[in-house]
Amino acid sequence: MVTQNGIKLAVHLITNHFGNLVAKVCENLLRKGTLTLEHLIRFTELTREQVKNSLLVLIQHNCVQAYSLEVEGGSTYGAKANTQYLAIFDNILHRLRFPKFLATVSENFDNECVELFEGLLRDGRLTITQMVARASQRENPVAEDVVRDSLLKLVTARYVERCPVPEPVISKLDKDETTAKKRAAKSAKINEITETLEQSVLAAAVPMEVIRFSVTTNTGSCVNRDISSNSSPIIGVGEKRKLDAYGLDKEPSAEEKELVLWRANFEEFIRGLRHKACTENVRKRLDDDAAMVLKAILEETRSAEEKVKMESSVPLSLNTIFEAVIKIEVGRTMTFDRVQALLVQLGCPQRSSDASFSIGLNNIIELARNDEVESIVKNRYGQEAYRMFRLLSKSGCLLETDKIANDTFVEKKDTPKILYKLWKDDYLHMEKLAFLGFKQPDFLLWKVNKLELWKHILDEMCHAALNLSIRLAYEKEKDNEVLNIPKEKRVGPVVERFKRIRKVWLLLESALMKLDDALMLFHDF
Amino acid sequence: MIGGFAEIGMRRLQGPSSLKRKQPDSGSPSDSLTDAERILYNLIRGKQDMGIWSRDMKRETNLPDQIVNKSLKSLLAKQLIKEVVNIQKKGSKHYMATEFEPSKEITGGEWYADGSLDVAFISILKDQCLKYISKKVATADEILDWMKKSRMFSVDLTTKQIEQILRALVLDNDIMEIKSTGYGDFSSVKEGRVCYKCTKKDSRRGEPNAGAMASIPCGVCPRISHCTPDGIISPTTCVYYTKWLDF
Repeated sequence: MVTQNGIKLAVHLITNHFGNLVAKVCENLLRKGTLTLEHLIRFTELTREQVKNSLLVLIQHNCVQAYSLEVEGGSTYGAKANTQYLAIFDNILHRLRFPKFLATVSENFDNECVELFEGLLRDGRLTITQMVARASQRENPVAEDVVRDSLLKLVTARYVERCPVPEPVISKLDKDETTAKKRAAKSAKINEITETLEQSVLAAAVPMEVIRFSVTTNTGSCVNRDISSNSSPIIGVGEKRKLDAYGLDKEPSAEEKELVLWRANFEEFIRGLRHKACTENVRKRLDDDAAMVLKAILEETRSAEEKVKMESSVPLSLNTIFEAVIKIEVGRTMTFDRVQALLVQLGCPQRSSDASFSIGLNNIIELARNDEVESIVKNRYGQEAYRMFRLLSKSGCLLETDKIANDTFVEKKDTPKILYKLWKDDYLHMEKLAFLGFKQPDFLLWKVNKLELWKHILDEMCHAALNLSIRLAYEKEKDNEVLNIPKEKRVGPVVERFKRIRKVWLLLESALMKLDDALMLFHDF
Repeated sequence: MIGGFAEIGMRRLQGPSSLKRKQPDSGSPSDSLTDAERILYNLIRGKQDMGIWSRDMKRETNLPDQIVNKSLKSLLAKQLIKEVVNIQKKGSKHYMATEFEPSKEITGGEWYADGSLDVAFISILKDQCLKYISKKVATADEILDWMKKSRMFSVDLTTKQIEQILRALVLDNDIMEIKSTGYGDFSSVKEGRVCYKCTKKDSRRGEPNAGAMASIPCGVCPRISHCTPDGIISPTTCVYYTKWLDF
């Protein structure tokens, strides 16, 4: 679900971080879908060298993934020309939330881990040798062992992972699948088709779970790693391919081990933030106890989640949930019955205690999205519009103007005006019911189409985030001269101006971070 | 405040919920009507509680405008007919025989008074419901009983009306509708019954937290679709932003 304003925001972020040339290449990839090097050169009208270097920067920072289509007969002839480049929209937007990722790490790990992780965010991808070199050049240099130890901690927590395969081969089968989908959804937008392609490319590039989070220390001992030669026969063809790409069916040499590239695992951070958003929403709607039970469940099942957008939590028995709850300090006051009652409050159907419980996370996300949308409606269109919108949103079906007026206590003559305003701004869907009879007025029916609306809201949010970011840059530029005044010369009105600048920056930056939470709610969760 | 209720109550007492039809007197003044008046009076009376629009009368009776106007004036003076407000066609002259009370179609229903939504009455009802629920979780029947006992309103309220008010409060997100669990806050309500509870609010302002988008200028901007980085409306020249950042 990439919207027009989403692309603008992504391009803006890339321009800010890497300049115009890289942004131009990135924009072409975002707007036109996957492209080869030749196409990129033609579309951007840049030199081969410029495009190549821009791509390298984008790949280094995990914003572009290369892949190639499998040539029939397995011949590698012409494979070079076949290399396609794909911009990863999500990863570009993640750049906005680096401070949040860093905060998560500093909450859970020591300073060395934070330093190492910060380096990974700044540089995109690093080998262990590079990390060690960086650590030794710091003001207070640290030993290699400390660096390796920090990396191990972060990888074990899955906050850092091995980089994906540089150029996975997408088999004909995958391609046929996408073209079939293309044919089936002829009317669907290009976005949706490229999304399926994007998904298959990214899935093909991710190393196998065991390899993805395995660190080989220089003493030769393996962590999380038990790939022995006898496990390879049961590996599927696709997985074998990934192994081949790593050359891991052979025992890697010490040199190869040092060449492994590491990067931040955005997925794990987004999962954590999604869990947090769910628990906070439950706290807001229900209470602290319900939030605590949900938190306990999510922490317990974190490693068992197969994807970020889990529809509901991994099923657990009441006993396991109770055990997880009493692990938390405040949870020790809970009784078995109370936990069971809270599970019912959290939307689990009431059943016998030996059944397993699973909480609908998508429902919680949907409620949070509704809150966000409704608050926009209230602030932009007023209390009466808010009441009407909530009526339509809750009913989920088409309602007639008069019925809406009656249920919301709004003057009959004002009702159509308010509804029309909401419809004009794409917040409502309208259908006209015309009668052929004499002098009968048309009936107007109204509805909230949530999926369409969420897409629209996401686009507006991207627009708003772009605006905040532009305004922040403008304020910084404007105040540059004041900031350049040395501290001892700041007197009188300059002090006041200085205070104002600080307030403005703080407000804009915090608004952007808060808006980014909402962006994640609508895009990543 | 109590005076306010009484006043509104009085008004409601004469309202549609206290329909009392006057029996036409036997020696009615209709005997002394002119032919034109009689034709018009019968037509109006025939329409019962729906009444009739003056232009429709002219069309149906084929009487000249002047005569119709004169006769209507005379019928009004004799208090045989009355002018009523039609919610569908406000501003147009609508007449009805005195013995009838306007139907729901004409008045707009029980929440309308004199042709417009009785905003004051609705708002007082809402406030009272909210006041009760803010103290404890309650059902619609319970609130109605309380209102009846305290004789707050002189009109007869129905459970249906209270439910309507409560539904509007749910839409306002002031209260929420839930099924009683029978425990804790719900101990006074039988398990499984629909009851109402106050929505949690931000304790500092008594307002629900505004969303991320709604708390920045772009979230409430009516011109966001016209805004571009280099356009006439742009984030660097935006007046809403300037106001927002005015410290």
